[in-house]
Amino acid sequence: MSRRVSPKLLLTSLISLTLLCVWLSLALGPLRLPLGETLRALAHLSGLPVAANDQALLVVGQIRLPRTLMGLMVGAVLALTGVAMQGLFRNPLADPGLIGVSSGAALGAALAIVGAEYFFALPIGLQPYLLSLFAFMGGLIITAMVYRLGCREGQAHVATMLLAGIALTAMAGAAIGLLTYLADDTTLRLLTSWNLGSLNGASYARLWPLLGIGLAVALWLPRRADALNTLLLGESEARHLGIDVERLKGELILCTALGVGAAVAAAGLIGFVGLVVPHLLRLLVGPDHRMLLPSALFGGASLLLLADIIARLLLAPAELPIGIVTAFIGAPFFLFLLLRRSV
Amino acid sequence: MKIFRLAIGMLLWATAVVVLSADQPQRWVSAGGSLTEWIVVLGGESRLVGIDTTSQHPESLQALPKIGYQRQLSAEGVLALRPDMLVGSEEMGPPPVLDQLRKAGVRVETLSADANLETLHSTLDKLGAWLGTPEDARQQFNQYSQTLQQLKARLHAAQAQHPAPGVLLLIGGTGDRPLVAGDGTLGDWLIKQAGGTNLATQTGYKALSSEMLAGLDPAYIIIADRRLEGAAATQALLKQNPALSQSQAVRSGHVLPIDATVLVGGLGPRLPAVAEHLAAQFYPQDLAEPVAKKP
Repeated sequence: MSRRVSPKLLLTSLISLTLLCVWLSLALGPLRLPLGETLRALAHLSGLPVAANDQALLVVGQIRLPRTLMGLMVGAVLALTGVAMQGLFRNPLADPGLIGVSSGAALGAALAIVGAEYFFALPIGLQPYLLSLFAFMGGLIITAMVYRLGCREGQAHVATMLLAGIALTAMAGAAIGLLTYLADDTTLRLLTSWNLGSLNGASYARLWPLLGIGLAVALWLPRRADALNTLLLGESEARHLGIDVERLKGELILCTALGVGAAVAAAGLIGFVGLVVPHLLRLLVGPDHRMLLPSALFGGASLLLLADIIARLLLAPAELPIGIVTAFIGAPFFLFLLLRRSV
Repeated sequence: MKIFRLAIGMLLWATAVVVLSADQPQRWVSAGGSLTEWIVVLGGESRLVGIDTTSQHPESLQALPKIGYQRQLSAEGVLALRPDMLVGSEEMGPPPVLDQLRKAGVRVETLSADANLETLHSTLDKLGAWLGTPEDARQQFNQYSQTLQQLKARLHAAQAQHPAPGVLLLIGGTGDRPLVAGDGTLGDWLIKQAGGTNLATQTGYKALSSEMLAGLDPAYIIIADRRLEGAAATQALLKQNPALSQSQAVRSGHVLPIDATVLVGGLGPRLPAVAEHLAAQFYPQDLAEPVAKKP
């Protein structure tokens, strides 16, 4: 364990990495802007009296900035909730999908994509957000069901919850399969690409709800680091040490359901980040949640931004779904860390 | 004097061209298979600077930058091609990206891909106006509907002698798990234009079990394979779906391969010729192979 990086160093480098990724995400894209143009546009956008060219303003302000912010939030939230779930289940293989939030969101999305025009009538102003709303609600509903099923006599049984999560995920999967069968070719394609996630089409209207929920989660979870550490000892031990374990469980699940629900609603399903970023950082900094949570926040955000930059540049002018890229970057790196450790 | 007049005339003509073309978008991105084909037919190939993945025909376009699938366009990706104009079907999206493109000053035009002649008429009218070849566009449409009208008349006569054959149109990739064209698809439209009866009753493209396929017992099978052409497509289909070998179509050698790219998007320019070709197969005694009238 001597290879563990000093916490301060790791956190500083993760923060710098995130800042670097933010800059790259604002500066790089299929449309090549000179560095000066990007800087001037940014200065103009932040209210400085600098003249900037219209196109640069549009590309940086309306396309790249919302996209960058969305990537930051989605990555941070997915990684943070991943830590929370691994802490709650005391299992490094847990990910936010375990409590049904991803499959619920996927079911909601499938309903919205395949069946919306038949079953639901929404006010016209909400129409463009139908998919996001359904995904968010779907995630919340399935998670609430998993939580309810896991509750006996006022206590949430983590093992029951896990199994209930598996069962409901399977059921949601079957329902999605049914909808997939009913879908025609084009809706099918939409569904598939939604399942791989994308930050394409990020706009401020979609960003604000995510930003609000994401910030709340990002501020709240690190405050519970000590409690999560105590939970590592076991539930009854934590209870004896004066932690309100039931409340903690409820908070963790609520944060995950809201955070992942909002992230998925904004960007579709993006696999891998929630499972592996926490795991990877645990290899680097150890299991202390006081370090793990903040580093997951920055680690997840950097990974997602990096993946998004690659997703938009690799096949330009077309785009790759981001879920493919996160897995392609993250998995080999993760394997490398694993192998290095066992030597 | 004559030369002087000629010079004036040319000058006026040149001005007219400049004035007219000022109103016409010069750099086009097309997101829709049949639209791209029409743009090429109407002489706009040189203006195309990017196409989507459904624009697979003609081959000469394949060197152009690809902007991805029509429903997942990337705002910056499209902007990087510096287009004046983006045309596509109503499936083009996602909507926020189209908004961003409009804000960036790109003219975004949506043309319906519905399979009927009125839609094609308005599509060609618009494309003709934007490309500066309205006369050509009108002619193309007239020829298109005339070809179909004539075919219909000949089919009418033929159908008095012979009943319309039952047909299935399958779209497959190397014969595997073919999708059957049902109601409301372009494949269904094509079968009807060629004088066949579509045996598939479902809406849209659906995978049917091989038992169902065999049970429908089509007299003709049209196979549009995305990867194989001609006899290879037929062979692959039969190899993957042995149950079909007992159908009338296979026993009498009535499996007709067609180019799968004609079925992408709305009514494309190559469809009348394909319909004529199919009709000649359906009614071999009455309709001889037509004089090739390829656009």
